[in-house]
Amino acid sequence: MPEAPAILGIPEFDERVGKFLPKGWVALLEGQSGAGTQLLAKQFAHAGQGAAPVYYYTTDERPEEIRRTFGDYGWDPDGVSIANLSEAYHAQVLDRELEVWRVRERGLRYAEIARTGSGAPPPTAVRPTAQVLSDLSGLETRFRLVLDSLDFLFEVLDEEDLLAVVRQIRRRAQALGGEALLVLRADVQERKLVGLLEDLADLHLELRAVEENGSYRPELTVRKVRNHPELTRRVALEASVGGLQVAH
Amino acid sequence: MGTTPAVETAPGTERDRGRCQTGIAGLDDILGGGIPKGNLVLIAGTVGTGKTTLTLEYLVRGAERGDRSIFLSMTESTAKLVQNLSSFEFFRPDLLQNGSLVLVDVPAIYEKLGLDREEMSAEEVDLLLRTIRDLVAELGAKRLVLDSVTGVSYRIRKEERIRDFILRLGQAMSQLDCTTLLVSEIGPTPGRYSLSGVEEAIVDGVILLGNTRRQGDLLRVIQVIKMRGTPHSRAQYVIELTPIGLLMAPHLKGGGHEST
Repeated sequence: MPEAPAILGIPEFDERVGKFLPKGWVALLEGQSGAGTQLLAKQFAHAGQGAAPVYYYTTDERPEEIRRTFGDYGWDPDGVSIANLSEAYHAQVLDRELEVWRVRERGLRYAEIARTGSGAPPPTAVRPTAQVLSDLSGLETRFRLVLDSLDFLFEVLDEEDLLAVVRQIRRRAQALGGEALLVLRADVQERKLVGLLEDLADLHLELRAVEENGSYRPELTVRKVRNHPELTRRVALEASVGGLQVAH
Repeated sequence: MGTTPAVETAPGTERDRGRCQTGIAGLDDILGGGIPKGNLVLIAGTVGTGKTTLTLEYLVRGAERGDRSIFLSMTESTAKLVQNLSSFEFFRPDLLQNGSLVLVDVPAIYEKLGLDREEMSAEEVDLLLRTIRDLVAELGAKRLVLDSVTGVSYRIRKEERIRDFILRLGQAMSQLDCTTLLVSEIGPTPGRYSLSGVEEAIVDGVILLGNTRRQGDLLRVIQVIKMRGTPHSRAQYVIELTPIGLLMAPHLKGGGHEST
C-alpha cells in the first residue's frame, strides 16, 4: 500500500485527506491565537522536506526563531528557505513614519528640504510580496510554500493586490504540483475577503484552542476539501514532542 | 505707455507699509510703485499665459535688490526651473549660489512631512502652513511665490479649509513682511480667478493674465483686478515674454478681439 502523502505531518489526517487533494493545491489555515497555528505551519513545512524545495515566508517571526522552533521539535531547518517579508517594509515604512513624526514635532528646516535634492527619485515603495512572486516565477518543479501570515498583507496591500498574490500562488501550485499553506488569524479580517480566500483554497482548515477540564487543547476543523464535503470534520489534537498530533 | 489708463483706488485704505517693487517694467507703474509690502496676491491665468515667468522674474528682481526670495514649486522640479530660467537674460545664477534666490520642491516638503494622502486633514493643512511660515522666517525671505496654490487647494479639497489656509497664510506672511504671489490656474470661465472660487475673495490682490486674439494673433495680456492698499489701473495691457523679461504695453482698443 503506497504511503499517504504528507500534508500536515499528522498521519491520520494526511491519510484521510491527502489522496483526495488535487495535484497542486492551496490550503487556507485560519488559526486562533494560542492554538498552535504557527507550530502547525512549521510542521507543514517540515512534512514536505525531502520531497520538494520548501519556502517559509514569515511576517511575524525572525528566521532564527523559526529555526530554533524547528530544532525544538527535532526537525532539520536546513532544507527550508526562510524569509521575513515584513522586515524591509518595517525598515522603510515604519522608520519613515518615525522620521515624519519627528519632523512634524520639531519643524522642518530648510537644510533638510534642500538635502532631499531636486528631482531626486522618490523612495521605492517596498512590495512585501515581491520576493514570494520572484521565487515562484523561478520555480520549475513542485514546491511547498508557507505564508505566515496573510494578516500582514491585509494591512499593507489593497484587496485586489492581495487576491492577485494568492491567485499567483495557486496558479503556480496547479502548474507545478506545488502545495501552499496560507495562514490567517481567525476572527480578525473582514468576512467578505476571507470568503474570497476560502473560495480560492482547495483545503480550508481552522485551528482553535478549546477549553477542556480547565485547560486548552487544539482542535482542528476541516471546513473544506474541494469536491469532497464528506471529509469535513472536527479533530481533537494534542501537542507532542513531534508537533501537533491527533489526540487519543 | 502711450495712454493713461483709468486709475482706481481699492477699497479699504490701509497704512502704507511701503512698496515691494516687482521690477517688471510697467507693472510697478500701474501699481503706483509696486505691490504694497506684505500683500498676498493671486496671479491668475490659463495655461501658457506667463504666470510662472512673471513670478520668477518678480523673485529674481527682488533678489537683485537684496530681498531674499523663495519659489515653492509644486509641479516643476527646481532643476527644470533653473533650466528654464537660464534662457532669460535677467537670470543670474549667482543669486542661487549665494542663497538670495531659493527654489524649493514642494513635493520634497510633502515627503518630509508625510503628506501623502489625497486629501489633507485639517491638522496637515496646519502643518503645511506652519512649515511655509517657518521656512520664510528662517530664511528671512521678503518675497515668496507658491506655484501653484491650485495644486495645494486641490489637496486641501474642502472650501472652508482652503479659505482658512489662504487667510492664515496671508496673515503669517504679512507679519513677516513677506510679499507673496500665489499662482492660480484657472479655466475659461470669466470672472473667476481660481478653480475653487475661494482664493480671490481672501487675497489682497488679483492680477489676471490671459490671451486675446487680435487680427489673427494671440496676444498675452495682463490686468490688475484688485490690489488692496494702493490705487491702480484696471486697464488691460499687452505683455510680451522676452529674453530680457516681461514687457508691457497698453492694449489699444480697436479691431476685432476676443479675450480668454
